Amino acid sequence: MTRTRRATAIIGIGQTDWSGDWRRVRAGEKPADSVGYAAQAFQDALRDSGIPKDDIDGLIVGPTTAYERMGEVLGLNVRWGGQADAVQSVLQAQMAIEAGYAKVIALVYGNDQRSAGTQYGGPSAMGGQSFLSYVYHSPWGMTSQGALYALTLRRYQHERGLSEADMGQVAVAQRAWASMNEAAIQRKQITIDDYLQSRYVCEPLHVFDYCLVNDGGVALIIADAEYAERMRPDPVYILGTGRSDLNTGATSLEPRLTDYYLPAQQQAGASSYEMAGIGPDDMDVMLAYDSFSVHVPLALEGYGYCEVGDVAKFLAEKGIGPGGALPVNTHGGHLSESYMQGWNHQLEAVRQLRGTAGDRQVPGAQTVHYTSDVAGKCMSVIYGR
Amino acid sequence: MDIAPTPAPVPLVHDIPFWESVEQQDLKLQRCADCGQFRYPAGPICAQCNSEQVTWELVSGKGTILSWVVFHKTYLPAYPAPHTVIAVRLDEGPIIISNLEGPEPEGSWIDERVSLRYATMPDGVVLPRFELDRTAS
Ligand SMILES: [Zn+2]
Repeated sequence: MTRTRRATAIIGIGQTDWSGDWRRVRAGEKPADSVGYAAQAFQDALRDSGIPKDDIDGLIVGPTTAYERMGEVLGLNVRWGGQADAVQSVLQAQMAIEAGYAKVIALVYGNDQRSAGTQYGGPSAMGGQSFLSYVYHSPWGMTSQGALYALTLRRYQHERGLSEADMGQVAVAQRAWASMNEAAIQRKQITIDDYLQSRYVCEPLHVFDYCLVNDGGVALIIADAEYAERMRPDPVYILGTGRSDLNTGATSLEPRLTDYYLPAQQQAGASSYEMAGIGPDDMDVMLAYDSFSVHVPLALEGYGYCEVGDVAKFLAEKGIGPGGALPVNTHGGHLSESYMQGWNHQLEAVRQLRGTAGDRQVPGAQTVHYTSDVAGKCMSVIYGR
Repeated sequence: MDIAPTPAPVPLVHDIPFWESVEQQDLKLQRCADCGQFRYPAGPICAQCNSEQVTWELVSGKGTILSWVVFHKTYLPAYPAPHTVIAVRLDEGPIIISNLEGPEPEGSWIDERVSLRYATMPDGVVLPRFELDRTAS
């Protein structure tokens, strides 16, 4: 079965004031709870879309808020709904629209992880119930998510010949992009030396390799293409999607430590490239899920931007920062813009394709690739104008 | 003086024989009685052949370091920073996450041969750990 390209499109984007709330939370305030941030972002997305709220007939909420409470707060009694993380929400919306279950779907996410003191390491590590590998090894003092990526990176560096300075390219490039992004929380540029001299959290990961932990919300409105084209001149189409999972040996970290998710990324990439009819050479912007910097080199290899084993050369010679051959995480990503668990990357895709990304706009961007690999689930989404 | 408790295992019902074997200092892993595949963590069926028949077998205790990290931040009172964790590929196949005791390798730890030993934590909990394998050539 051939699936339709350009069947679904993003027509509305919204977010909260990440940097303002960052300062407020640091000053001891509690600007909102998770549902409150999600509601603010939804209002912003609805305004951006220009559509009447009554046209929304589907709702997907992020994993951090109760589904029915979210629907209650937003006043949405829909005919189709779901709850998922960022990339799975986009895929679910696409599937629901293509299958005819809904026409206009609101995706809303809010998270008060900073002000609520959510722990991503230690005895009550977030995700422990759903991702066993995060907590299974706690008797030996291994519970932080960052530590799992540190373990991955150490072996990956050994096998691929990636030095610490090579790795620093990711954090340095993303901070350079963030310096051109008024919404970003961390905008002060850093050098490779700053990176190398910064403290380790879990060695070999430096503090600059870690995502921020901040409060905020994101909302998207995804509609079928016919409706989208009727409502606005610049819909951002979903051109292709793909998914592939590696679950064998997940708890004992086999897929993280032996092939770095490579076969799953290659398969997810191939599905999405086939659906979109384009490949990595055609991408104007690449956005990679980056809870830790490690995701970026893995994705560059896994999704075919460079040969396996050539990532150090690619980072040094091609470059992923401003002026580089491949602009990657042009908003600053989770490392520098905001940690919205993959949701803020979708906003950036839309801005780059609308041509409204301001100082960091990649001129004439026509295609944006989003990749996500969280706990063995590799997903690829290609957006286009 | 307060003794920081060793973080308790996340209770999986199929792990009970594993932790009993640790306590007895005779580490056993679950093994498929049909295809012979070792599995860790233990589980209800064999992911390779779907068999439900299992045995519990002593392991050689020999393995190779796949990777290692050093925590520079303290997450658990029992493990103040700096704290080191290793991933070991047992000769039987599974990867086990643990700690290295005794002398540390110079430079990279990857591919160093290690052998099993048992550590008794300050609160009496027994943990399987590793030390550099001096019998390796
Ligand atoms: Zn079997």
